[in-house]
Amino acid sequence: MTITPDSIVYWQWGDFELNATIVFTWLVMVLLTAGSWLVTRRLSDGPELSRWQNLLEVLVVGIRDQIAQVSHQQPGPYLPFVGTLFLFIAMANLLNVIPGYLAPTGSLSTTTALAICVFVAVPVFGIASKGAGAYLEHYIKPTALMLPFNVIGEISRTVALAVRLYGNIMSGTVIVAILLSLTPYFFPVVMQLLGLLTGMIQAYIFAILAMVYIASATSAHEHGEPDENQNKTSPEQ
Amino acid sequence: MEINWITVSAQVVNFLILVWLLKRFLYQPVIRAMDRREQKIQNRMDEANSREQEAIHEKQSYQQKLAGFEKERDDLLEETRQEARQTRSQMLDQAREETARVRSHWMREIREEKTAFIDGLRHQSLDVVETVIRKALQDLADEHLEDRIAHTFVRQLHTLDDATREAMRRSSEPATVATSFELDPAQRGTLTRSIHELIGADLTVNYTRAPELICGIELTCESQRISWNLSDYLDELSASIERAFEPLEPTGAGG
Repeated sequence: MTITPDSIVYWQWGDFELNATIVFTWLVMVLLTAGSWLVTRRLSDGPELSRWQNLLEVLVVGIRDQIAQVSHQQPGPYLPFVGTLFLFIAMANLLNVIPGYLAPTGSLSTTTALAICVFVAVPVFGIASKGAGAYLEHYIKPTALMLPFNVIGEISRTVALAVRLYGNIMSGTVIVAILLSLTPYFFPVVMQLLGLLTGMIQAYIFAILAMVYIASATSAHEHGEPDENQNKTSPEQ
Repeated sequence: MEINWITVSAQVVNFLILVWLLKRFLYQPVIRAMDRREQKIQNRMDEANSREQEAIHEKQSYQQKLAGFEKERDDLLEETRQEARQTRSQMLDQAREETARVRSHWMREIREEKTAFIDGLRHQSLDVVETVIRKALQDLADEHLEDRIAHTFVRQLHTLDDATREAMRRSSEPATVATSFELDPAQRGTLTRSIHELIGADLTVNYTRAPELICGIELTCESQRISWNLSDYLDELSASIERAFEPLEPTGAGG
């Protein structure tokens, strides 16, 4: 039983392995990019919209609204990063219904890569928004004694981000595999549906958490470690 | 559960590329299209608002103009009514004046005709009366009218009061006896004698003809005048004729 698509290697050159994770990631990238390009090359700015343009506008507006709601800031700077996190994970999970497809998000390497991106993006956005001094200052708040804990918290939430997504997607795949051996035919289909739901929820959770972390770093009144519920209580900019 | 770090780095690169690609092909075009649409909608709203403002403004201006026209019309109407009233009253006044003028003219003509008629009548009747009297005197008493007139005049001189006689006597001018007919010398002698007896012996008496004295005789001395003529009798006739005309004259004649 294959647990991670990393282990399926199609081509190898030196240390570099062209495994299923990378191949299916490219597939998702091509689908997203090509779909976007096909629709956006003929955009209408009048009152009449094509269905696909309408779908894309709904998606973009929805993501923007979510970002604005969570961060209480203009969504513009964060939209490409957070939106792409959501779209990539959602598309990668959605394609799971295709037989023979292996979701790249079921690989710990992919989720780790995404989590690292978030890990890096948080200070980048924070420094860009508040300046390096003000950003780094929040690591020694309320006292310098908290510095190690703040750093550990920063790292641990990144690890949690990676493992949460990986675990959810991987477990879906594994459960389907196990159920197939126990109760073949129909029941695994239900689990597949459940897996789709889980996949969409995980994409949402990942993107929202990334936004929460970024918002906590860019918000002027932040103190200490933000948690997942903080977006509800963070003061308005 | 192992992490392939080479795959991780590849995925990081893949993700960053995807971010760039989606930014290039998805977010920017869609947001730009939406912004353009919003801008268009905003422009249309602005245009609609400005047109509405313009329409409201024009409506107000038309209403003002309309009110102005109505006021002007009312004013004109009132002015016309006023003029009509004035013209009517002027025309009525003119008509009244014209009527009065025509009426007075007519009345004057009537009066003139009446006067002319009465004068004519008086003149004719004078001739007739004179002829009748002359004939009657001749037939009845075998006397001349001139003699009777002179006789009557002398009798009148007898009735003069003293003041008149005194005034005539003191006159430095001669006395003048005017008659409508020619006096013969006998009649003149009788008259001169009577005047000398009754008024003053020194008074010079001249005789002249005066056809306007209808069948009469008149003595003028100083500022005194003594006369007898037939027209005095005819005055009675004229008065009675005028009385006969009175019912024919319009009552309340203004002029």
